[in-house]
Amino acid sequence: MNKIVIENYTAEFGESFTLDQVNWTIGPNQHWVVTGTNGSGKSALAAILAGAGDYVSGSISGLPERVELVSFEAQAELIDRELKKDDADIMDVISEGTLVREILEEGKSDNPDFDAALLEELIGKFKLETMLARSFRKLSTGETRKIMLIRALVNRPGLVILDEPFDGLDVESMAMLNDLLQSQIDTVPMVLVLNRFDEMPEFITHVAYMDKGRLHHSVDINDKQAYDDLYQLLHLKTTDLEVPETDDTDRPPALNPEDPLVRLQNIRVAYGDNTVVDGLNWTIKPGQHWQLSGPNGSGKTCLLNLITGDHPQCYVNDIFVFGMQRGNGETIWQIKQYIGYVSTALQWEYRVSISLRNVIISGFHDSIGMYSKSTDKQKQVADQWLELLGMKDRADQPYNQLSFGDQRLLLIARAMVKHPTLLILDEPCLGLDDINRQLVLALIEKICASGETTVLYVNHHAEDQISGIHEFKQLTKAT
Amino acid sequence: MSNNYFNTLPLREQLEQLGKCRFMSIDEFSDGVEALKGKKMVVIGCGAQGLAQGMNLRDSGCDVSYALREAAIAEKRQSWKNATENGFVVGTYEELIPTADVVLNLTPDKQHTSVVNAVMPLMKEGACLSYSHGFNIVEEGMKIRDDLTVIMVAPKCPGSEVRNEYVRGFGVPTLIAVHEDNDPKGEGLALAKAYAAGTGGHKAGVLMSSFIAEVKSDLMGEQTILCGMLQTGSLLCFDKMVEEGIDAGYASKLIQYGWETITEALKYGGVTNMLDRLSNPAKIKAFDLSEELKVIMRPLYNKHQDDIIDGTFSRVMMEDWANDDKNLLGWRAETAETAFEKTPAGDVEISEQEYFDNGILMVAMVKAGVELAFETMTAAGIIADSAYYESLHETPLIANTIARKKLYEMNATISDTAEYGCYLYNHACLPLLEDFMKGIKTDVIGKGLDVADTGVDNARLIEVNAALRAHPVEAIGTTLRGHMADMKKIV
Repeated sequence: MNKIVIENYTAEFGESFTLDQVNWTIGPNQHWVVTGTNGSGKSALAAILAGAGDYVSGSISGLPERVELVSFEAQAELIDRELKKDDADIMDVISEGTLVREILEEGKSDNPDFDAALLEELIGKFKLETMLARSFRKLSTGETRKIMLIRALVNRPGLVILDEPFDGLDVESMAMLNDLLQSQIDTVPMVLVLNRFDEMPEFITHVAYMDKGRLHHSVDINDKQAYDDLYQLLHLKTTDLEVPETDDTDRPPALNPEDPLVRLQNIRVAYGDNTVVDGLNWTIKPGQHWQLSGPNGSGKTCLLNLITGDHPQCYVNDIFVFGMQRGNGETIWQIKQYIGYVSTALQWEYRVSISLRNVIISGFHDSIGMYSKSTDKQKQVADQWLELLGMKDRADQPYNQLSFGDQRLLLIARAMVKHPTLLILDEPCLGLDDINRQLVLALIEKICASGETTVLYVNHHAEDQISGIHEFKQLTKAT
Repeated sequence: MSNNYFNTLPLREQLEQLGKCRFMSIDEFSDGVEALKGKKMVVIGCGAQGLAQGMNLRDSGCDVSYALREAAIAEKRQSWKNATENGFVVGTYEELIPTADVVLNLTPDKQHTSVVNAVMPLMKEGACLSYSHGFNIVEEGMKIRDDLTVIMVAPKCPGSEVRNEYVRGFGVPTLIAVHEDNDPKGEGLALAKAYAAGTGGHKAGVLMSSFIAEVKSDLMGEQTILCGMLQTGSLLCFDKMVEEGIDAGYASKLIQYGWETITEALKYGGVTNMLDRLSNPAKIKAFDLSEELKVIMRPLYNKHQDDIIDGTFSRVMMEDWANDDKNLLGWRAETAETAFEKTPAGDVEISEQEYFDNGILMVAMVKAGVELAFETMTAAGIIADSAYYESLHETPLIANTIARKKLYEMNATISDTAEYGCYLYNHACLPLLEDFMKGIKTDVIGKGLDVADTGVDNARLIEVNAALRAHPVEAIGTTLRGHMADMKKIV
C-alpha cells in the first residue's frame, strides 16, 4: 500500500462547482470517511481519486492502478446504459438487458486480479443465487446497490471509494455490508462518503470534513476533542419551520370523507412464475399516516406503484383509490392529481435541464419536466420553497447540475408543493446530510399535523421516526 | 398480385394527397379521448410499439385488449408475455375481433396482407381499422370493406420512447391520417385525434397527413439518409481509414459511436448545430465536402424518390418477398462479411468532441444526406413538415442502433422494407462515390485537420454560416423542435 498524497489540487466539476486547493494525505492502513453538507463537494473529493473532474492545478501521487468507485452517479450511469439498450427499438423488440451475473463478472475478461472465489463467497453471503439470472434493470434500488458493491470488491482494487454505500440498504444488508467491509480492511484502503455520521463503521480511522469545495478539517478519530467539535458542527438544529402555502386554483374534485383514500384487496403481483406480492390487503383512511417498511425486494415500491397507477398490473387487481375503482375508464392523471410522490426511481427518471423553480412547479402538473404554462401564484409558491431549502439564489439554474442530495431536496419540495391528498415518500432522506434530513423530517411532521394531507412514508432507518405516524405496515419477502 | 393504389388515382388527386400535411393546434384536441369512450379497442401485435401504445391508451382511460394468433397464446410467446404481464386481456382473433369497435393493426408491414385478410371478415359492421404505416393500403392496394373506417396513427418514435414520454406527462410527435375511400360515417378524423390524444401525441405535436404522403416520404427517408447513407458511409470511411494506416480498432469505434454522437447534435439543433460543433476551418471543410457529395449523389436520391412514387420500388421488393427474400437475405449475409462489421471497436478512449474533430467526412455525409432527402421529398410534392420528420428527425434513432451493434443491429432493427431499400441504396452509392473517396485523406476522417492556425477568412465563414442556416430544413426544424423544447436532456 502506498501513501496517496494530494497537493494543492484544484479541479472543476461542470461550470458551477470547483474543488479548491485540496491538500490531503491518505496513509497506508487508513480508512477515511468524507462528510459535509449536501453540495459541499464530499463526493467530488472522493471522486478525484477515481479520476473525475477537470484538472486545473496541483498534483496527486501514489494512486494505485485500480480504483473502484461505487456511487449513486455510477449506479445511475449503469442503469442508464441498461436503459439505452432498450431505447432504440425501431424494430419493436423489448430487450431483457444484461443479467445480474454478467454485470458481476464484467471485470473477468480484462482484469487479471479478478477474484472469482470472492465473488462466489459474496453471492452466498448476500444470498444472491436466485437473483443471478434476472435482468439487472429489473432489480430494486437496494438490490442494485448490493450488486455494485460486490462488483467493485471482486475486482480486487488498490483503493475502494464508496459514496453513500449504506443508502438504499435494509437493516440486515447494512449489517452484512459492514461485516464485509470489515473483512477487507487489511487488504484495501477505503474512502467512504457519508451523510449520516451514525453510520460510520468502527474501522474508520480518519474523517475529512468538506465545506463549499474546500477540505476544512482532517481529523484523526483518536483525537477526541477535534472529533467532538466536528460532531457538533454536523448537528446544527433546524429553526422554526413553516410549510409554504399552495396554489388552490386547480384543486382536484373533493372526495367523500367516508371513503378510504386507498383500498387494496387481495393483491397479487407476479412476473411469469415469480410472485412478488400475494394476498395483500391494505386500507388507508384519510388522516391515517402510515409507515411502510420491509427488506430490499419485498415489494414496497411495487405496492406504491399500484397506488400511483405506475404499475401495469394495477388493472388486474382490486384497487380503489380516491373514489375510483381502477379499470373503469379513469385516467392515471385523474389519480396522480391527488398524489405527491418522491422516490429514488423518480430521481432517476427526472433527468431534465429545466430550472430549479420549474422542477418545483412541475409538482402541480404531475409531470417530469414542464409542458404547460405556470401561473404567477405557482411561481410565488415555488420561490417560497426555494427560500426554505436555501436555494433561492439558484432558482434559474439548471436542475441537472445539482448534486444528488440537492436534487433530492428539490424533488421533496415538488412532491409537497400542491399539499396533496396523499403524500408518498419512498425513502425521502436517501442522500441527504444530517442537517437536511432533519429539515425534511421536520417538514413531514408539520405536514402530518396539518390535517390536509395523509402521509405514507417508507424507510429503513429506525431512527428516522416521524412523530405523527401511528400505523405501521411491514412487508416480508414472498418466497 | 397486388394493385398499387396510388397509381390508380388521377394526377390531380395524387398531387393533392402527396401535399397533405398540416401541423395541428393543441386546441383541436380539447375533446381528448371522448370519441373513444365506451369503445372497445383491440390491438393486434404486441411488440414494443403495440405494447407502448396500448399502455398509454389504457392509462388515458381507454378499454384496450390484445388479439394474438392462437399459436402465440398456446406457446406463451414473447408477445403473449408482454401483454399478460402488463395486465391486459389477451384472446384469439376469433374471440376478440368481433367485439372490437377499433382494431389497431400494429404488426410489421410484411404481415399486413395476411393479418388484414384474417381480421377483416371478423370485424363488426361499421368498426374502425387503424394502421401505423400505410404501405399495405397504398403500395399493396389492400381493399378494405366499405363499411369500415380506416385511419392511421403513427408516433414518430420507437415504442419505448412513446411510453416513457407519456409517463413523464408529455408525448412524441405523431402523424395521423384518414383513408378517404374508407370513411363511411365521417368519423375517421375524430377517432384518429382521440387515439393520438390517448397516446399523449397531441402534447408534442400532431401532423395531419394522408396515407399516401406518409408512405412515399417514409420509404424515401428510410432507404436514403436514414439507413442507406449510414451504411454506405460506414463502409467507405472504415476502408479509407484502414487503407491510410489508422488502427482498425480505432476506425471501427470512431464510426460505430460516431454516428450517434454527431447526430445527437443534429437532434438538438439541426444541421447548423452539428456543424457548429466543428472548429471554423473544419466546418468550412465539412461544408465543402457535403456540397461535393450532394452534386454526386443527387441523381441517386432522385432515382429513389422516382421509383418510390411510381411504385417500382415496392413492386420489385414484393417480387423478392414472393421469391423467399432471396435478394434481401443475400445482401444481409454480404453486409455481415464487410471489414467494418467484422472489426470490433478498439479499447481506446474517444472523447465526445473527438468524434466531431476526427469525423469531418461523417458530418459532411450526414449533412448531405439529410439535405438531399429533404430537398428531393419536397420537390416531389411532400410538405416540409413531413420531410423533416422522415429525414432529420429519425437519423439519430437509426444512428443509435449502429452504436449498439453496428450495421447488423441496424438492419435487424429496421423493417424489412427499410432494409431492402437500404441495400439498394448502398449498392448504387458505393461505386458512385469511388472517385470522390480517392481524394479523401485522414485529415477529414480519422485524424482531424492538421492545421497549426485555426484562422479562417471572414467572408468565407459568413458565407458558410449563412448557407447552413438558410437551408429550408433548418427553418422547419426550428419550428418543429420548438414544440419539443422540453425534450429530455440526458445528463
